[in-house]
Amino acid sequence: MNSVHEGASYLISNYVFPNDLHVHWSMMIVLYPYLSGLVDGAFIVAALYYVFGVKSLKPIARFSLIFALSFLLCVGMPVMLHLGRPERNLNMLITPSPSSAMAGGGYLFMVTLAVLLLLILFLYRTFLVKQQRQSKGLKRLFYQVLTFGSDNLSDEALALDEKVIKFLAALGIPVATIFHGYVGFLFGGVKANPSWSTPLMPVIFLFSACVSGISGIILAYIVIKRFRKEAVDTACVRTLINTLFGFFILAFSFEMLEVFSHHYLRSGYHHMVEGLLNGPLFISFWIWQVGICSLGPLLILGWLCLLRVKDSAFVIGSAIVSFILLLQVLFMRWNVIIGGQLMSKSARGYTEFHPEWFDKEGIIAVVFVMAVPFIILFILSRIFPLWMEGKSEAQGAGGK
Amino acid sequence: MEQPESTLSEDRRQFIKKVLKGTIAGSLLLVLPAGAGNLKVPEQIKGIRNRPWELAKQNFAFIVDITRCIGCGSCCVADKREFNVPDGHYRTWVERYLKDFDDAVYVDSPKGGLDGYQEPRTDIKKEIRDTFFVPKLCNMCHEPSCVQVCPVGATYRSPDGFVLVDSDRCVGCAYCIQACPYSVRFLHPVTHTAEKCTWCYHRVRKGLLPACVEVCPTGARKFGDLNDPESEVTQILKGPGVLTVLKKEMGNWPALYYKGLRREVV
Amino acid sequence: MQSTYNSHVKRIVVGLIVIVALGLAGKKLLAPKSFGVYGHYRADAIEEAAAIEIRHGTNASCLSCHPFEAQIHLSGKHSTISCEFCHGPYADHAKNGKKIGTLPVKTGEEIKILCLRCHNRAIQARPGEVIKTVIMPAHLEEQKVKTTHICNQCHHVHAPLRYINHAKRIVGMQEAS
Repeated sequence: MNSVHEGASYLISNYVFPNDLHVHWSMMIVLYPYLSGLVDGAFIVAALYYVFGVKSLKPIARFSLIFALSFLLCVGMPVMLHLGRPERNLNMLITPSPSSAMAGGGYLFMVTLAVLLLLILFLYRTFLVKQQRQSKGLKRLFYQVLTFGSDNLSDEALALDEKVIKFLAALGIPVATIFHGYVGFLFGGVKANPSWSTPLMPVIFLFSACVSGISGIILAYIVIKRFRKEAVDTACVRTLINTLFGFFILAFSFEMLEVFSHHYLRSGYHHMVEGLLNGPLFISFWIWQVGICSLGPLLILGWLCLLRVKDSAFVIGSAIVSFILLLQVLFMRWNVIIGGQLMSKSARGYTEFHPEWFDKEGIIAVVFVMAVPFIILFILSRIFPLWMEGKSEAQGAGGK
Repeated sequence: MEQPESTLSEDRRQFIKKVLKGTIAGSLLLVLPAGAGNLKVPEQIKGIRNRPWELAKQNFAFIVDITRCIGCGSCCVADKREFNVPDGHYRTWVERYLKDFDDAVYVDSPKGGLDGYQEPRTDIKKEIRDTFFVPKLCNMCHEPSCVQVCPVGATYRSPDGFVLVDSDRCVGCAYCIQACPYSVRFLHPVTHTAEKCTWCYHRVRKGLLPACVEVCPTGARKFGDLNDPESEVTQILKGPGVLTVLKKEMGNWPALYYKGLRREVV
Repeated sequence: MQSTYNSHVKRIVVGLIVIVALGLAGKKLLAPKSFGVYGHYRADAIEEAAAIEIRHGTNASCLSCHPFEAQIHLSGKHSTISCEFCHGPYADHAKNGKKIGTLPVKTGEEIKILCLRCHNRAIQARPGEVIKTVIMPAHLEEQKVKTTHICNQCHHVHAPLRYINHAKRIVGMQEAS
């Protein structure tokens, strides 16, 4: 514990408060904003089509929503695994403290889930009604529930659905933004931790959420299409990559702005943050998050967006850059959440974090939590076809 | 040694009889319900037992006198025993500060001072200018960040000024642990709920001093009733001595005062 | 099923209202009774916190049954030391006026460790005006005793200067140095 970290020469004693030796928010709390960020970003992609009418995104608009839903359904999992008393989770809803940034989480989650679920049900209503008419027994009942017992597909009904879709999609933007901004504020609002307590935190979380969500959509789209041996819509991928480039420039700029301010302000606590980044986090922050996973993608994205790239190369480049950016955001979450806790509140030292394999917040659990959304995605794809090819695309507000 | 031993046991029986009859120590020696059993203890904080506990009218202060702390760690031991604090977690601890002539500060707190400080630091090659011990415990903030962030209202500031944890409501999210600027909180490894120093609220309510104050041999830890003009803490607060709080810039307004605190302490 | 163009929307709106109403009712029903009396917490928790077991008595509670030790302990420089620090908490020893367990008495090397928790001058941070400190084994050499001596061979643990003052009285404090 007496080692001295480079770049923080005044922290000679490396003294960690005895209660700070343990990192209380570990990998599950890294996954929580990561999952909710994927939801947020995927929703933004759908909103670009349904609200802002970006036509080229049509092929992946529905897929993004189903993708968002599969991840949203799992957002609670890491939280439950993290809680010391998960069986008391309803306390958050029964007696939410008005003064706590965390207390609104449960309600925000429910609102986000309701909006997303309703949006999907309205979008697929025509399809679901047709399924209901064709099926019998339990299956019919199931579809009746999903269509709220109405099989009215009159022009009047479809026009109403279209209005509702517009409304829900538009409502979804602030809801998703608040949901993820709140996650960022959970950290930004902790004044005792100098690396967290910045108003930039929700902004950084939001932009990186968009980056991870769009990357997730691109990668999943390309992989699924390749797997099914279907053609990739390059126009759509190009739009997504351009959007991703924009969001990533913003996200990366804000991340660097925060580091730069800490470096420049040079108050006592800022020294601590600088020492953290140059010391215990050197590899995971400078090498991985900034070097490999940010500067690399900036170069690739520049190449993809600014030069004329052949379609086949473009698709491969997009898949690679999306993958790296998914890692970037994961590293960013890790460095903020676990990294931030490595600083003791003694302002004199750094603790260490060693992930465990079999803990309920361990590596195996992380793999499990990350796998479940894909299983849900697969199940949902049996109910809601991910791609509405050709003729059946009669519905959908932006697509008229 | 044989002779006094036999008379002693006789004396002891007599003594207990007198105590039980109430002829010794009079009204001060009360039998209190303490958990499951009863405990014969004279009152230490004057006047607590004679009046009903009015939540809104209490005013207590805790003062740590750095100039009197010898780093024996009695307080840490007593605290661990009073609450059966699990190993590796600390409701209170004692830090050792050393400062050289270049103002470099060296701090350590092996096992939170639980085993005392048996060995001097040998890893510092420089000449030491100043060295002292600093006991740490809950600051009982007037504006506690832990209470602010608790999502379920499981940690609260009681009207009598004590910041406490309701372990029946706590969900174990550890947000309070992140929010506490003084790192006095931890998650209990068995109950999985947040815990922290309570200034021995259960003792104070029965007119007893906090366990750490009770065992402190040098009077480095002082606790008392500010409503009592005669109490030591009132006298100290009225006096000219310089009292400070930790991390004033956090805006938590701690009720824990430090006397003789050096600027290096955070 | 009879469904008009907007019946599903109506059902959703009604459903949401029902869910919200049920949620609010559940919130009200499930909140603990004393919640919110003084603030956003369970008021009963205060009394529960006050009612937990007291494990440390005071020196008075120990000495009330140990008058022999009391007489020595209160006479010397160690009178401010807590019995329970060296011997363990009251709750492990007595309950309802009856002995329920034996508390340990430190012996041999343990005593030395215990003494040096406070009296070791090698730990410079100890303020000299508060505590008398010694350097070991220099102190033993100065006193011309074996360096294997344990502190309590000269110092009574409850009243450290008891034997020494006693010896000085016998010798008559005549040494002129």
